[in-house]
Amino acid sequence: MKILYSWISGFIENPPAPEELAAKLCRIGLKVEELKKTGAAFTGVCVGRIEKIDKHPNADKLALVDVNDGKAVMRVVCGAKNIAVGQLIPFAKVGAELSEGKLEKARIRGVDSEGMICSAAELGLEGYDNSGILVLPADAPLGADAMTLFPKADYTLEVEMLPNQGYCLSHYALARELCVFYGYKLKEAAVFGGEAPDSGVPVVIEAPELCHRYTAIVMRGVKGAKTPEWMAERLRAMGSNPKGNLLIDGANYVMYELGQPLHCFDLDKLSGPAIKVRRAVAGESFRTLDNADLKLQPGMLVIADDKRPAALAGVMGGLESAVSGGTDIILIESARFFPPAVRQSSKAAGIKSESSYRFERGTDPRLTPKAARRLAGLILEAVPGAKVTQFTDNLPVDLVPSVVEVSPEKVNALLGTGIADGEILACLKAFQPEVKDGKPWKFVVPSYRQDIEGICDVAEEVARYIGYDVIPTVSDMPMRPSSVTASWAVSAELKHSLASLGFSETYNYDFLSAKELKACGLKSEEALELKNPLSSDLQYLRPTLLPGLLKTLRYNLNRGRDSVMIFEVGNAYSKKPGRTEEISCAGLIFGDFPEGGHWKGGAAKADFYQLKGVMSRLFAGKGGFRFEKPKAAPSYFQPGGALEMKLGAGSLGYVGRLSAPVAAAMDLKDNNIFYFELPIGSAATAWKPEFWQKAVKIKPVSAFPHIWRDLSVVLEEKHEWGELERAFSGIQDLASARLVDVFKGKNIPEGHKSLTMRFTFSSMERTLTDAEVTERMGAALGKLARNFGAKLRS
Amino acid sequence: MNATVWKEKLSAVRDSFSVSIAQKPAVNPEELELRFLGRKGELALLLRDLKDIPLEERKPLGALGNAAKTEMEARLAGLKGAAGLSGPVVKADLDLTLPGVPFPKGSLHPLTHTMNRLTEAFLKLGFTMADGPLVEDDYHNFEALNFPPYHPARDMQDTFYVDLKDAAGKELLLRTHTSNTQIRAMENQDPPIRVFHPGRVFRNEAVDASHSFTFHQIEGLYIDAGVSMADLKWTVDTFMKDLFGTAVKTRFNPSYFPFVEPGAEVDMSCVFCKAGGDRCPVCKGTGWLEMMGAGMVHPNVLKACKYDPAKWSGFAFGAGIERFAMLLYGISDMRMLYENDLRVLKQVH
Repeated sequence: MKILYSWISGFIENPPAPEELAAKLCRIGLKVEELKKTGAAFTGVCVGRIEKIDKHPNADKLALVDVNDGKAVMRVVCGAKNIAVGQLIPFAKVGAELSEGKLEKARIRGVDSEGMICSAAELGLEGYDNSGILVLPADAPLGADAMTLFPKADYTLEVEMLPNQGYCLSHYALARELCVFYGYKLKEAAVFGGEAPDSGVPVVIEAPELCHRYTAIVMRGVKGAKTPEWMAERLRAMGSNPKGNLLIDGANYVMYELGQPLHCFDLDKLSGPAIKVRRAVAGESFRTLDNADLKLQPGMLVIADDKRPAALAGVMGGLESAVSGGTDIILIESARFFPPAVRQSSKAAGIKSESSYRFERGTDPRLTPKAARRLAGLILEAVPGAKVTQFTDNLPVDLVPSVVEVSPEKVNALLGTGIADGEILACLKAFQPEVKDGKPWKFVVPSYRQDIEGICDVAEEVARYIGYDVIPTVSDMPMRPSSVTASWAVSAELKHSLASLGFSETYNYDFLSAKELKACGLKSEEALELKNPLSSDLQYLRPTLLPGLLKTLRYNLNRGRDSVMIFEVGNAYSKKPGRTEEISCAGLIFGDFPEGGHWKGGAAKADFYQLKGVMSRLFAGKGGFRFEKPKAAPSYFQPGGALEMKLGAGSLGYVGRLSAPVAAAMDLKDNNIFYFELPIGSAATAWKPEFWQKAVKIKPVSAFPHIWRDLSVVLEEKHEWGELERAFSGIQDLASARLVDVFKGKNIPEGHKSLTMRFTFSSMERTLTDAEVTERMGAALGKLARNFGAKLRS
Repeated sequence: MNATVWKEKLSAVRDSFSVSIAQKPAVNPEELELRFLGRKGELALLLRDLKDIPLEERKPLGALGNAAKTEMEARLAGLKGAAGLSGPVVKADLDLTLPGVPFPKGSLHPLTHTMNRLTEAFLKLGFTMADGPLVEDDYHNFEALNFPPYHPARDMQDTFYVDLKDAAGKELLLRTHTSNTQIRAMENQDPPIRVFHPGRVFRNEAVDASHSFTFHQIEGLYIDAGVSMADLKWTVDTFMKDLFGTAVKTRFNPSYFPFVEPGAEVDMSCVFCKAGGDRCPVCKGTGWLEMMGAGMVHPNVLKACKYDPAKWSGFAFGAGIERFAMLLYGISDMRMLYENDLRVLKQVH
């Protein structure tokens, strides 16, 4: 919110300087985001006219200019390029006070200069073109004090307003805060203090639960009410565009001044005339001030005349009852509406206004008569013939102030302080001088502080009053054991392992487009959809981390990289009941490894076995981890090109090659992309989060040497290594059977392959004899021959 | 050559070696080794000359030569400081400056590093990690946290809604802050409770250098009998000192979050200021950095979770993880954290 220093300081006796005022607001939680000097503060500058321009005899870039100040013509030296004969310009005579100090008589390159043609910067003006001299409007009166053309010097403060600070939304209200917290004396605005009968236009509140007070002042003879220049200037400084009509501008002015939104109806345009504050009924509509046809929802609070709605209460007035230049009789509305009702109307109608902003945050119910009287006073001042003919103040509900019982012990207990009773009482009295001694104090909450409801709120005021630094930084809270969640522990372990294996962790967005879903072979009707996305590119929640990783792959390939190893841990979403969100870990590899090769040897192309090896490393030592052929892998894997991972009984996701159509649809040039994804949840159930559980029991190793033998067999290609490997279980003393080589080609019959395996034997009791090992190797070969028709390779 | 000449030559070589090895500054032992003991070294050449000397004289000369060699080797080894364990000099064509084998280098994301460190700081203070969903209902994200329906505080957090409804028929939303886990934690366990939660949150805001529709928060909650704002200040101060060193100072300024009262904003003294703090680009010369929000848990929040506010009190504090990461890694545009450019990511180990 913008605040003018000249305006706010008018409400404070002996106000602090702008910088101090800003600092004091900050200290009590009203953050001043910007303090800016505005307007002009020069003297001795008048409107002059350029009569003649000659070349300077001794300088190419300077000119000799004759300036007429309305009385005489003077010669000045000027270096600006944008001068022209006939221009009106700000002319500073010797002795003028400018932004850089007092103007002295000068002799420039041998010629006397009797004054200066000023630029905006020399006048201390901001927001003007500063590339040359400041050219004044053609209708500026020659010889007049140039100050009259510009707003006076002032400061604007941009104050950040938090949603609970409804009590601070005006100049007066902020001045009041400063007075409460720093002991300044508050000054009041001049208001119309006269009386008028409470009769004439009936004002009926039909929905007292939504309208707590309605003050109306009827004025006659207001035709031609012009906005005075001082008011227009302040409104401009506030960023509001004054219309020149005091009935409109004055209402805005009082809102900025006191925080109470006002509205003026042209009484001649109201049917009845009458004011009915009621809920809208089905089918009603009205034309708003900005000329839009607004269909009202039943239940919305409106201000209606005898026949139809004339305003959406607290949000916007209607065009048909709006004041204009010809308006002679007005009704000033100053009301207090139920904040949620105004917010609801504002949201439903899609209209936000300065008025709804204030009503939503809760206006002071005691303020309505004062604000209406303030506007009436301003109009009376400007239009001598105007008269107040009616003053009505309807209060359907009693304004019972809320009372908080304050005990200093409670305040100190909450803050952890030992503030003396007297200091706490002094704070309460700053708000409410009538607080009586005698504990617990009965603190009658001022009507403008609708936000203070209980002891915590009072404690905050005490802390603000004394300063948050009064709270010590000490604690005697007991230590407590701490731990992380299982899914965090698993994620952290996987992240570290993947990073140490060469993968870079990425953070992708959770949102994606229908097109991307389709490209990855995913159905948009099964994906969770945002009701209010930022754009159609960000419309769905990702059902898998795949699209984001593929986009990241593409992004990096487009930037000259040819090898990528990335992963992410994040949420995948679904519409399926109970599976709305699941944490997933996914990653991919693409390209050559090592990237760019190495002088000792070429790089290997990424393939399935590399990623499979990574998976084996991730889950090394996790009991029961294994790969299985999946019944159905997700469709974005190449058919038959993926394995399912299992840990215990549960599925641990998939690892495999990306399908060619998905790669093509995601604009990737081939599908040499190997991808894995695994649900953290199922990993977490098999994972032991506690270190004592996780620590593997170490098996003793044999004190005797192990013995190994190689075996090469030829068998039909259809037999897979996984089957062979399982067949070796049960061979006595077998420590490991490792595949050393797979060969097809020369000397191997068509449709066959040769496998070379290394069998290692070890016994805990003794060194095995040659004969024993030979016998066990025979058993292995026997199994291979029986089960797979394998023959010893000769 | 006769035996006498050879002996003279040998003693000349030995003298020359002694002079060279005693030279200051010290000569490179490899160079000396090459010059005297190398294949074409002075001693080697001299030993080769033995073939011209009659056999009967050769034997004692050979012994002399070998003794000299052993002595020189021992002195050289002494010079190398490794008393003879060095073994022979490497071949001259071995270029040790060739690049090492490039083991693949991965990386953790800056936000993960930051989140891990913040998590560690919470754990040290006895906070246990709690969990909560990202797709949340209005009650846990707003209402129980003292954001009543049609309250302007809801404007602080523009919300994404999804096409799913909760049991009450209200649209589900993407949580706008991690504070939903406060409610979830209090619903799940009786006081006292000391929990924290890091995670992703969403706001319906356009992306720019300092805003994103997706970001991360971390926050802690402590409820017990007699918890005061002094406890909060100590906890926050200790937390920040753990992260930025014991010289760091913290200060509280009044602020507002619906779920706490009194509410505060926490500033930390700028640790990035070099001398001449006026020009510090990080704190803009103010000496302070806004780091966190904090406050005493609002009684309405306690009531919503069936904790009796007359019996229990507590505090909550939290921060945006991106804010910490951007300060720590010197990132000025938040979008960089979600671009996933490997040239950027691989700089962080």
